[in-house]
Amino acid sequence: MAAPSPPEPRAASIGPSANQRSGRDPALLATVLALWALLGLFVVFPLARLLGRAFFDDGRFTVTNVLATLGDPNHRRAFVNSLLLATLVGLCGTALGFLFAYTAARGGLGRGWLTALDAATLLPLISPPFTTAITMIFSFGPRGLITYHLLGLKHFTAYGLHSTLFAETLTYFPLAYLTLRPILAGIDANVEDMAFSLGGSRWRVFRTITLPLAVPGFANAFLLLFAASLADFATPLILAGNSFPVLPTQAYLQITGLLDFKGGAVLSFALLVPAAAVYLLQRYWVGRRSYVTITGKAGPATESKSVAPWARALLVLACLLVALVICYLYTLLFYASIVVAFGANHAWTWHHYHVIFTEGLKAIGDTLIIAGAGMPLGGLFGVLVGYLAARTTIPGRQALEMVSMLNYALPGTIVGIGYLIAFNEPPVELTGTALIIVACYVFRYSPTGIRATVALLQQIDPSIEEASQGLGARSGTTFRRITLPLILPAFFAGLGVMFIRSMTAISATIFLISINWTLITVRILENMTELSLGPAAAFSVFVVAVVFVVITLISALLRRFRAAGSVAMTSVLGS
Amino acid sequence: MNPVGITLERVSKQFEHRVKGKVYAVRDLSLEVQPGELLTLLGPSGCGKTTTLRMIAGFQQPDAGRILIARQDVTGLMANARNIGFVFQNYALFPHLSVHENVAYGLRVQKQSAAEIARAVGVVLALVGLEGHDRQMPNQLSGGEQQRVALARAIVIKPRVLLFDEPLSNLDARLRVQMRGEIQRLQKTLGITAVYVTHDQEEAMAISDRIAVMNAGVIAQQGTAETLYRSPATEFVAQFIGRTNLLTARVVSVSPSKVDLEVQGRPLWTSHAPLGLKAGQTVRLMVRPEAIELRPVITAGALHGKVVSRTFLGEKVEYQLRMGTELVQVTDYNPAHTGALQPGETVTLDIAPDAVRVLPGGRP
Repeated sequence: MAAPSPPEPRAASIGPSANQRSGRDPALLATVLALWALLGLFVVFPLARLLGRAFFDDGRFTVTNVLATLGDPNHRRAFVNSLLLATLVGLCGTALGFLFAYTAARGGLGRGWLTALDAATLLPLISPPFTTAITMIFSFGPRGLITYHLLGLKHFTAYGLHSTLFAETLTYFPLAYLTLRPILAGIDANVEDMAFSLGGSRWRVFRTITLPLAVPGFANAFLLLFAASLADFATPLILAGNSFPVLPTQAYLQITGLLDFKGGAVLSFALLVPAAAVYLLQRYWVGRRSYVTITGKAGPATESKSVAPWARALLVLACLLVALVICYLYTLLFYASIVVAFGANHAWTWHHYHVIFTEGLKAIGDTLIIAGAGMPLGGLFGVLVGYLAARTTIPGRQALEMVSMLNYALPGTIVGIGYLIAFNEPPVELTGTALIIVACYVFRYSPTGIRATVALLQQIDPSIEEASQGLGARSGTTFRRITLPLILPAFFAGLGVMFIRSMTAISATIFLISINWTLITVRILENMTELSLGPAAAFSVFVVAVVFVVITLISALLRRFRAAGSVAMTSVLGS
Repeated sequence: MNPVGITLERVSKQFEHRVKGKVYAVRDLSLEVQPGELLTLLGPSGCGKTTTLRMIAGFQQPDAGRILIARQDVTGLMANARNIGFVFQNYALFPHLSVHENVAYGLRVQKQSAAEIARAVGVVLALVGLEGHDRQMPNQLSGGEQQRVALARAIVIKPRVLLFDEPLSNLDARLRVQMRGEIQRLQKTLGITAVYVTHDQEEAMAISDRIAVMNAGVIAQQGTAETLYRSPATEFVAQFIGRTNLLTARVVSVSPSKVDLEVQGRPLWTSHAPLGLKAGQTVRLMVRPEAIELRPVITAGALHGKVVSRTFLGEKVEYQLRMGTELVQVTDYNPAHTGALQPGETVTLDIAPDAVRVLPGGRP
């Protein structure tokens, strides 16, 4: 296959500017040292403590802990279950994502339809990770709308592999959609047209040209979903039940239930191995296998590129069905928040909202304060690391980026347990403070800002910064007056993601909350386990609403800056 | 301010190539740019000309060698301390700043007064013919206007040296000719020493005081456009500057005043040959296409060939001829004189001995 190889970026062939070496610029050197210190404290140190707890007894290296924990058949089962669930979610989610992506890229749909597709996929992305799980209980639980009320089933069980798989697939398939859509859209129209002109049928072209070209995308989407499912903590906690233990929930119960830190650390390590494998596979194997260079220039929508009318109707129908299920689930969520007791008493009431704004006010206030504090810090951190990685020749800049990405790539359970073990005792005692939660968010969710910054900087020719240097500006001046204004969109994207994740995350921070500082998501989970479904639904609706408002604001800001500046910034929130 | 000279002393720069490993972009290169001169680095892509320019600017550090501006060693100096004006191929205008702010940038960095900045920017914008555009954003300008802003931004700081990196390659042909005239005029008016990088030999010949032809990281030859055209030192230079015929010949005899040669079994002589040639040696000859005259009659003992193709281009006609095993290009600037020669015709080639050059370093 004559695949066009992407043109070598100019910076790589010519080499970054020589006079950005760290040794010559005190400001740069100080920044780098400060970043390394922070990363050392909040990324490397907790992970080292976690591994230390798993592998060391009284200062001596030992594997007996690991062998003992993994010898437990229940834990072994959790390990196998985790991998099984992740594989299934990867397959189902990629298939669903491809359905949406292919319909969007080849269905020849109008703008309105595309917006509707995007909206349906955006909803699960911005919700707290267990929203689908909650609505699954509403729908299929012991008193579920469909199972109990509609079908009258008394013994249907909503807990186990099937429901966890369904909820996670619906929650994470948008990741596959966002990965596959640009790849399908980026396949050169001429390539497909060429295949048609050689006499291939539509099906044949799809099978022999389109699908093979999308293979790297499939691999990438699968790995993304695999990692997301592997790390998912809240969905299995609500839906998996006792019969289907998975690693993150098992580690959580080990620590909160049995106060067995060592066991939690070992289970985290068991989770770390497949997660790290997936991460490395994605970064070093899939990343180099893309046939399609995304140029942002969509190929012309030629007649031959579109699908046959009947196939198109089928595709749209399937997408609509999925979108309908999503809408149904969210309507159900809202409905559950405005009735007295879902499943028993369906009289209207605003009582649950009253509850969350009185009893739950502390959780809302704490969450907003922590999100508000984490936002600027994480945004700045992302831009700084992205800039250093993409634009300077400081030694170890790739290591800097890698380490910055670590907490993002690791399942939240591992990060949470790591923080718990590391900051529970001197020298750095942070348990019970807001700082530990803020730090966790900053180092876990700023990588989106890092990637957005790197992506944006790759679109900005390095010669613009060289022009500034040539005119006599020092690196600080150049960064402040030229680079920073140009990467503002990435900064805003970073802020947006920081905020959304601070509002919706739970897997790491559930280990870090205290009497002093709690979070909305933790309250939702508590409500769910206490079976106060109304307040849980009201909290969830509140979070979705706040996140939606913030996303709208950020998008407006991005549009504004896009109009003033010149660099296109596409789907930054999608990563 | 008096113009200053630039000296490169045995400068080398290596790069890590993905496949080939370490490769030389520039190798042991020495060069002298006279004060006030416009010197062009000319060569194909990948020859090291842009790397050389970027090292003069300070955007890249040489691995070995020294760079001097006004006899002062600037090798260790950062770009922002060298007082240079650089014009980029893609202009590198700051997309978020207006024309006025783009040009004012360097003056603001120097912390000049607002009044002085306004005055200087006004003068320079007038100089490049952009009065009244100061409030526009770069993306509202045409390519030629963007080019002028880049030029204005480079000269407003009164640099000691002006450096151009293929500044015209993004413009259309007509604008390119116009802009190169303006660049030359500005450079001479301001009297700033300039180094200009291009791969376009016509542009180089039009704009430069002197040209340094580069190939594979070294300078193949330097001199005026005329010297390079008439007396290329290597086959590479002969082929890179203008169109040329390279023919294989055998040396028949060497005397102090002339060298007798044999091409495709026919005699030819020249007085332009390097020393040390020996009878029986095989050499390479260079003959420019316009130096060959065609006659539709066949003269015994003279060079002759068969017309392969004829291309009418208005003021000239270009022929391709087969002469034994060689293909020869001939440009006829006076078609009325010879009349139309048709493909298939056999003609005589008249080559004035003065137009034949034996290239040095020919294969033995």
